Amino acid sequence: MELISSVISLTFLAQVLRLMTPYYLGASGANFSERGGVINIAIEGFMNLAAFSFVLFSILTGNVTAGFICAVLINLLFSLFFSYFTVKLKINQIVTGVGFNLLIAGLTKFLLVYIFNSSSNTERFEGIPDLEIFKGIPFAGTVLSDYMTIFCFALIFISGFVLFRTKYGLRLRSAGENPYAAESLGVNVRLYKLSGILISGFLSSLAGIWLASNQNSYSDGMIAGRGYIALAAMIIGKWKPVNIFFACLIFSAFEALEITLQISGTDFPTQLIQMLPYLITVLVLVGFIGKTKPPAADGVPY
Amino acid sequence: MHCLKMTAVEFINITKKFGSFFANRDISFSVEKNTVHCILGENGAGKTTLMKILFGMYRQDSGSLKISGEDIRFNSPHDAIAKGIGMVHQHFMLIDDFTVMENIILGNEITKGIRIDFDKTAGILNELISTYSLNLDINKKISEISISAQQKTEILKLLFRNSDILIFDEPTAVLSPAETDEFFKIIGKFKSSGKTIIFITHKLNEVRKISDKVSVLRRGMLVYESSNENRNLDLNILSQAIVGETVVKANTEKADIVFPGNDGRNAISLRNIFLKKDNVSRLKGLNLDLYKGEIHGICGVEGNGQNEIIDIITGLETEFEGEFSNPGCSISLVPDDRLKKGMISEFTIGENIILKKKSSNFISERLLDRISTETAEKYDVRVSDIKSNLSSLSGGNQQKVIFARETELESDVMIFSHPTRGVDINATVFIHSKIIEQRNKGKAVLLISSDLDELFALSDKISVIYNGAIAGTFGSEELSNFRNEELIRKSDESTGSPLSDKIGKLMIGIKTE
Repeated sequence: MELISSVISLTFLAQVLRLMTPYYLGASGANFSERGGVINIAIEGFMNLAAFSFVLFSILTGNVTAGFICAVLINLLFSLFFSYFTVKLKINQIVTGVGFNLLIAGLTKFLLVYIFNSSSNTERFEGIPDLEIFKGIPFAGTVLSDYMTIFCFALIFISGFVLFRTKYGLRLRSAGENPYAAESLGVNVRLYKLSGILISGFLSSLAGIWLASNQNSYSDGMIAGRGYIALAAMIIGKWKPVNIFFACLIFSAFEALEITLQISGTDFPTQLIQMLPYLITVLVLVGFIGKTKPPAADGVPY
Repeated sequence: MHCLKMTAVEFINITKKFGSFFANRDISFSVEKNTVHCILGENGAGKTTLMKILFGMYRQDSGSLKISGEDIRFNSPHDAIAKGIGMVHQHFMLIDDFTVMENIILGNEITKGIRIDFDKTAGILNELISTYSLNLDINKKISEISISAQQKTEILKLLFRNSDILIFDEPTAVLSPAETDEFFKIIGKFKSSGKTIIFITHKLNEVRKISDKVSVLRRGMLVYESSNENRNLDLNILSQAIVGETVVKANTEKADIVFPGNDGRNAISLRNIFLKKDNVSRLKGLNLDLYKGEIHGICGVEGNGQNEIIDIITGLETEFEGEFSNPGCSISLVPDDRLKKGMISEFTIGENIILKKKSSNFISERLLDRISTETAEKYDVRVSDIKSNLSSLSGGNQQKVIFARETELESDVMIFSHPTRGVDINATVFIHSKIIEQRNKGKAVLLISSDLDELFALSDKISVIYNGAIAGTFGSEELSNFRNEELIRKSDESTGSPLSDKIGKLMIGIKTE
């Protein structure tokens, strides 16, 4: 009973909305890349890389803003590498993505030991301070204390507007749907693909930064498949910003439930709850959403 | 009043080589402003290459190009578009998931601040649509509209970019007779509004109907030019110029076949068939009988149930109501879309043929080469290297390979769906002879086509399909009367005969009786 009442509460809802943040940032990023026709499963690795470099440079400089800027720049640099392989050299996008994920996992592990003398985690640091304006207001005070959560709400509208109402969005989507038709009308397809990947690198860096900042440290394996779940949310959301938002809420609700269960100290195995997001993804795709239609030239090198 | 003719495009000694192969060789001619100029030639004669040079997609190796008297050298289609040249490709360059409007404005968006001004764009497009009577809904997605509407989208793309010189690469290959007439009306409006139209086609009747001038290419060279201002082009001379020899008429001599008793002739019978797909009724009480030794032609606008008939007969579709009987006949099919349904373009001739052959489990290269060579000889497939993939063959030669595979199986029922679509004159003649040969061998032949001439020339019986049912059937007597009339009627008369009129009306759902 206690459990049920703690789930049906504003606190729980606030938790769900807060935990949605990294999923939505990652999923929106992946969406920009895929709308341009590049499948970016390196989102997982990008989040990992940003989380690590954010902590590293925040500690080194003693300044979170500097850490933030470094993390974003490093991610953009890796996004450029990713574009070089997938757009310029036209290497298979899945293979490149897996390669990046493995490379970044190894690199962060190595640097963790090399710099922080630990195989599991860094020292603690302050992280990004909360936004104080709404402090004290119930519910809103919790949800709106986080810059990036607020940014996510804006991002729903921004990405919808950019993708469907601007020249840039139309051309980006044309590159993902039929690059040959786009090129015949003078659209520089490769440039638009590159831009989509850079946006995905930027947004996934925010996701990684958020995770590290909330944990006040970096630990090995802390992304824990959130990048992949973000991709699943993008698919369930059928590549549409608003739908992706709701898909992310499903996943963050399960994460919140898992945390609530752990706190309540029930005997219910939390591993089962941890499994649920993946099970849900499969079930939702099979049963409810049915066939989802990606951009027509998604994953096809041009 | 003396009227000076202006030149829109001038080709001067254009030569283009691919490797050692001359796609265009020393071609010189000019296209006058405000005319319809047809370019004719067989597949591979160099028409499309020449047009791609004009549109900036290829660069000529030598020779020059003048647009309105001005020397021009294009580096990309973008340069050509800027000079007022527009091209509708044979395979449309459209994005299925975009609306008509989005497809048109892509690359030339009208913006208000950072957003696309969809309202203003819609105003401009709708005005163009009404000026040229295009009858098109700009808010529909490409995936939801017909082929002819897709073509109009391509046309509107050119108009939106203020193109004055419009290039059409085989625009009528995908259109039904009614749609073709509509298309010609649009071409007429372009001409009267001062535009220049360059038109690539295979169909000679069309050329006489709409062109002001024709140029014929053969093996990359310009071989014949003629004016057609009085619409009196000699089609015999023209077809000779195209193929370089007298065109052999297809042997349409039909043998009389005697069957023991009437029952032995029955092949396939469809009775009162109803079929729903995705909640849309596709067949509504369709009746059709196929008899051995008979070519049953089906004519109709595409999408009226033709493909569903094929799916039922070949067993792909089983969820229908009504009675379908097949007394054990084997079935072969030459499908309408050979690239998607008929062949594997990255396989060789031999591999494509052996796919359907009962053979041992082990395939040697020698066997494949033997099959390829034999097929190429017997079916006149012109191929330079017997080991090359079908993708490197012309459309006509690919079709011959599919024909070879299906007819060699000696099935009881042969289904031919648009057998000569995108195929040049010589290959068409060959394929027509083969279809007649199948009939004379006593096969039951189902011939689906949107080409009325083809149906009249080959069929023993023609049924018109409209909206999922047979709207009318014309038997051998009516058809032979028609053929006799055709002989008497002067070939340059443009009005159709009563029978073709009747069929044309049935195809769009108008009953005359």
